[in-house]
Amino acid sequence: LALYFHIGEREEKCIIEDVPSDTLVIGNYKVQRWDTHKQEFLESAPGLGMFVTVTTPSADVLLSKLYGPQGTFSFTSYLSGEHIICLQSNSTRFVAFAGSKLRIHLDIRVGEHFFDESVVQAKDKVDEVNLRLEHLIEEIHHISKEQNYEREREEKFRKTSEETNSNILWWAIVQTLILVSIGIWQIKSLRDFFISKKLV
Amino acid sequence: MAALRLLRLLLLLGAGRGAGAGAAAAPPPDAEVTFVLPAGRRECFYQGAPANASLEAEYQVIGGAGLDVDFSLESPSGRLLVSEFRRSDGAHTVEPTEPGDYKLCFDNSFSTISEKLVFFELIFDSAQDEEEEEEEEEGDAWVEAAEPEDALDVKIEDIKESIETMRSRLERSIQMQTLLRAFEARDRNLQESNLGRVNFWSAVNLAVLVVVAFLQVYLLKSLFEDKRTVRT
Repeated sequence: LALYFHIGEREEKCIIEDVPSDTLVIGNYKVQRWDTHKQEFLESAPGLGMFVTVTTPSADVLLSKLYGPQGTFSFTSYLSGEHIICLQSNSTRFVAFAGSKLRIHLDIRVGEHFFDESVVQAKDKVDEVNLRLEHLIEEIHHISKEQNYEREREEKFRKTSEETNSNILWWAIVQTLILVSIGIWQIKSLRDFFISKKLV
Repeated sequence: MAALRLLRLLLLLGAGRGAGAGAAAAPPPDAEVTFVLPAGRRECFYQGAPANASLEAEYQVIGGAGLDVDFSLESPSGRLLVSEFRRSDGAHTVEPTEPGDYKLCFDNSFSTISEKLVFFELIFDSAQDEEEEEEEEEGDAWVEAAEPEDALDVKIEDIKESIETMRSRLERSIQMQTLLRAFEARDRNLQESNLGRVNFWSAVNLAVLVVVAFLQVYLLKSLFEDKRTVRT
């Protein structure tokens, strides 16, 4: 029951995740191909794979792998910032099919592992409580990290605002000074010119 | 004998919990997505929903000139539930949900040159809180009729209840945090573009000023340049 969307066969779809540093990001996806004969999406498309590329905020490639039609990928960010997760199919067919498209189911979790209810309930009681507690602790850590990161970004935001504010004033002063000095230069230059032309 | 009683009790508690969970399927995990919507494009996302849950969809345009986008939400039966034009943010709740796939669309066709950075979040709340409460009471009734050696079970059930409450509150915190993050990202992007614009246009202004000044003097002087000889 994850989120899904449609893209063309050769298209690349990118999702942006703004994460703090040292954060685990896990993505779970499933891709289906549209079958024009049956007019529905095939349950499994053999040979169909997805290139998953993850780019860091400093434009380095963190992950670039080919996975099958269904898979899980994960990476840990070492920088904080916007990471771009791109998915593209490895289909080598030329874009000749008018109705060909892919359905991609995608679920991305930031800062916590997937919590599988059915697996947890199968364990004995104490283990179950243990697992739940561990997941909770993970969530709490993630919230705390996000908050610290938010503090950093808010500081950057404040600096930018203050810089804009002072820049506006600075530019206005510089423009006024240059305007005045150019005005003086113009008058002087023209006066000298007219005097030399014996018109004044 | 006591051990058998204990075992039967455990099984009953376990079965009770299982039945409750089966009646209302676990709500899908909350999704949050930030993506670039190119100029002139319309992109749609689909999300499956169980019956009788509540779906909350929130979106924000956090980057791109104009900071606005068209939004529409369709139910699985094809009915258009929400249709908004040129908005920069919005929040909509659908309760109760029909079982099936809901379709969210973001449309940037009105803009030919500027791409938009859009953030949206889907939050699910199943209406199974009432069911869980009834279940706990049943469980407690059984427990009261049991022997003291089942005290461990009671403690574990209590712990699990607290954990569940904490978990749902933490989920809510995460959702709030994500929303606030989106607001902040939008404001920050706006301010950064402001700074760029102030610098750029002031420099252009200054350059034009200087060029025009020189041009004025030059043109004025050239008006008095005689091609004929100067009268003395």
